[in-house]
Amino acid sequence: MAATVLTLIARRLLAAIPILLIVSALLFCVLRALPVDPAAMSLPPNATIAEIEAKRREMGLDRPLPEQYVIWLRGALRGDFGHSIQFRRAAGALVAATLPATIQLAVAAMVLAGILGLGGGLLLFRVRGTVLEPVADLLSILLLSIPEFLWGLILLFVFGVALRVLPFTGEVAPDLPVPHLTGFILLDSLTIGRFDIFVSACQHLILPAAALGLAFSPTIMRILRSSLFDVYHEDYIQQARLRGLSERHVLLGHALKNASLPTLTLAGVQFGILFSGTLLVEVIYSYPGMGNLMVDAVRNADLPLIQAIGLTYCIVVLLINTAVDSLYVVLNPKLRVR
Amino acid sequence: MTFQLKRRALLQLAMGGAASLGAATPFASALAADDAATIGWPNDVPSWDPNQRFTPDAQPIFKAVYDQPLDQDPQLKLIPHLIKSWSQASDGLSMAIELRDDVTFHNGDKMTTEDFRYTFLERNKSGLKLDIANSMRKVQDIVIESPTKATMKFDSPAPTMPQWLAFLGSYVVSKKYIETQGLDNFLKNPVGTGPYKLAEYELNSRIVLERYDNYWGSKANIPRVTIQIIKDPSARVAAIQSGQVDCTVNVPVREVQRFEQESGFAAEINPITRVILIHARADLAFADKNVRLAAHHAIDKAALSKAFYGGAAVPLSVLATPGTPGYLTDFSFNYDPQLAKALLAKSDFSPANPVKIGFATTNGQFPNDYDIARAVVQMWKNVGIDADLQVIEYAKYFELNRGAKLPETTLYSWDNATGDPEIFSGYQLNPKMPFSPWKDEDIGNRVLALFNVADYDKRIAGYRDLERYAVENGASIPLLQSVVTIVRKKRLAYTKYANGWLLPQTLQWG
Repeated sequence: MAATVLTLIARRLLAAIPILLIVSALLFCVLRALPVDPAAMSLPPNATIAEIEAKRREMGLDRPLPEQYVIWLRGALRGDFGHSIQFRRAAGALVAATLPATIQLAVAAMVLAGILGLGGGLLLFRVRGTVLEPVADLLSILLLSIPEFLWGLILLFVFGVALRVLPFTGEVAPDLPVPHLTGFILLDSLTIGRFDIFVSACQHLILPAAALGLAFSPTIMRILRSSLFDVYHEDYIQQARLRGLSERHVLLGHALKNASLPTLTLAGVQFGILFSGTLLVEVIYSYPGMGNLMVDAVRNADLPLIQAIGLTYCIVVLLINTAVDSLYVVLNPKLRVR
Repeated sequence: MTFQLKRRALLQLAMGGAASLGAATPFASALAADDAATIGWPNDVPSWDPNQRFTPDAQPIFKAVYDQPLDQDPQLKLIPHLIKSWSQASDGLSMAIELRDDVTFHNGDKMTTEDFRYTFLERNKSGLKLDIANSMRKVQDIVIESPTKATMKFDSPAPTMPQWLAFLGSYVVSKKYIETQGLDNFLKNPVGTGPYKLAEYELNSRIVLERYDNYWGSKANIPRVTIQIIKDPSARVAAIQSGQVDCTVNVPVREVQRFEQESGFAAEINPITRVILIHARADLAFADKNVRLAAHHAIDKAALSKAFYGGAAVPLSVLATPGTPGYLTDFSFNYDPQLAKALLAKSDFSPANPVKIGFATTNGQFPNDYDIARAVVQMWKNVGIDADLQVIEYAKYFELNRGAKLPETTLYSWDNATGDPEIFSGYQLNPKMPFSPWKDEDIGNRVLALFNVADYDKRIAGYRDLERYAVENGASIPLLQSVVTIVRKKRLAYTKYANGWLLPQTLQWG
């Protein structure tokens, strides 16, 4: 099985190369089509036309678009994404500084979405045919219709302002230091043995992760329920019942395992969407991640930074899809045989 | 060996985890209550190089970590700071300065005229593209006479150099530290001479300041100040409401009015030295003076103030704010839609046959910018001006202006922390500067002449005349004096500055 999975990962990673090239080229062309001049914006307002022209030459902007792309790509392969116009620092360094916080948030949100989705899906399935079914249906549709930023505001006002039980600004309390080892504050705080920082970081993570998780869990719930409906028509479910297994055992021991495969595929796709959903949630909760940085970059038409962040999002989504596909092979014996 | 997690064990684990998370009160601070304060701030600093970017919102943070050669008191009067005394030559071509001899950087190095020369001359000449190069463009040389004495030499009269030394970006940095440690290290571990040291910095998240106990001036009252970057106005409101921050700025006016009614909070709407104006071009449809003046007469500024700033933003007739030297108390430009129609009629325009113009605005650059622009478009429509509203990014403004691509009118907000008229109308109407789209020889020459007047009284009188002349000719359309909103815990006092600064070093628990 390990060989099959490794082959799949290798194949996926190879396939990712042209995808990345296409996405980066598209991103590059779209950003270059915007009516902004990165050379002029890189200089102080009083820069002369001659200085701007010199900067344009230095940045390679006087060359044909394909050549500009090749220059950019060559830099990107060396980890040089250019300099942020707004921060006047290396765009790659800014992305590297903020990416761990976003990954941490997205993973926490996905775990939460998975738990809620699984629990909710099972519940929806269990109440089928009862008087509770329309109520549960309505509730799931209601949850589905609330986007992540609205959840962000609702949770902030309920748990942060009204009940005052959870903090909602930043990633740790103001009087605690932020350890800098890997950038993943939960991991770093445990590594240096600061449980107080770990607890504070968890508290600060709860609301933004819940906002994202709540927004994405209804889709998982509904897919799981419909998958369960499908597998319940399979013969092996009837056979399990005939063997005298309890309904609970049939559901959790047999149906759930098979119904989870399409749910897992969906969760993989959702994770990509969820990752981009961090943008607004990070701004609402002042979470120092890449989404927050992207909003700044867009507001300031900071093209090198937008490009670096855009490409990073693409890489992360491709990696997630590869991981999900591998997991799918692990869970589905039919694919291993093929 | 197999491990089975029983339901009871799982519950116990979950409860234990929840208890440990709940045990630490989320908003609790390990510090004594009066030893720390947290400010909810809307923007991060663009860089820790204080000379690099002119960003008004970052000035209070820079002023905590760095010092300026000259400072301003709360009424914006220029006062000595790192510079103990200064004297300008009568021709305006030089300025002798004497620095304090008791100033040290946070790393213990003494601040001298070498640092002053490095900051205001050498860095600008070294090819670094710093915004401060603009304000120091007349500096030809800085002749060092001793560690505390130097003379600034200018290539043309620089009567407003003292104001510039207290303006955006004018912060003394350490020559030795930057040259030995390198610029990148300086940006990561900045060293200034200000009342606070930078203790921690998390990009887009928080800035932790710790009191510098060897500070040469009055020590900061609160040993540790955390600036929490909260970009979303609703989140800033929630943060102050819930007690997660002790003070915050730039919250919506309606929220300020609500906080005014709540016990435990103090809320203020303070007019500041920032002008909201409409920049005009001197050509296209605005080549016609009737159209320009009609556009100005058609705007009900009091209504804009009431609608968007709770009536706290003062309607302006000139490009200066009340209390500053260039402000005219005896001149007003009236809201008169009938006169606007009459002026347009002279040029054969009417509501039925409107003059078409372009109107650019930002959306979210300053509070209610887009809404103000929409309201103005409606006011113009009523008199016969059909404005095509275009949203532009603030970052694009200079590029568009440089290429003469701005439309006839642009809504703009101009900050002038010094209050000096040169930095109001002098900059806004100077055709050689990148700020104004008004490119006209008549007004341009008047402005350029004022830049070389060394006598203070003559200079101010000249600007007062210029402001009136510019408005009467439709070259500038000032709208409102901008406001800053502050909500704080009642027990937390601060010093109010006329330019809206909220300085961490002035905070004090009562």
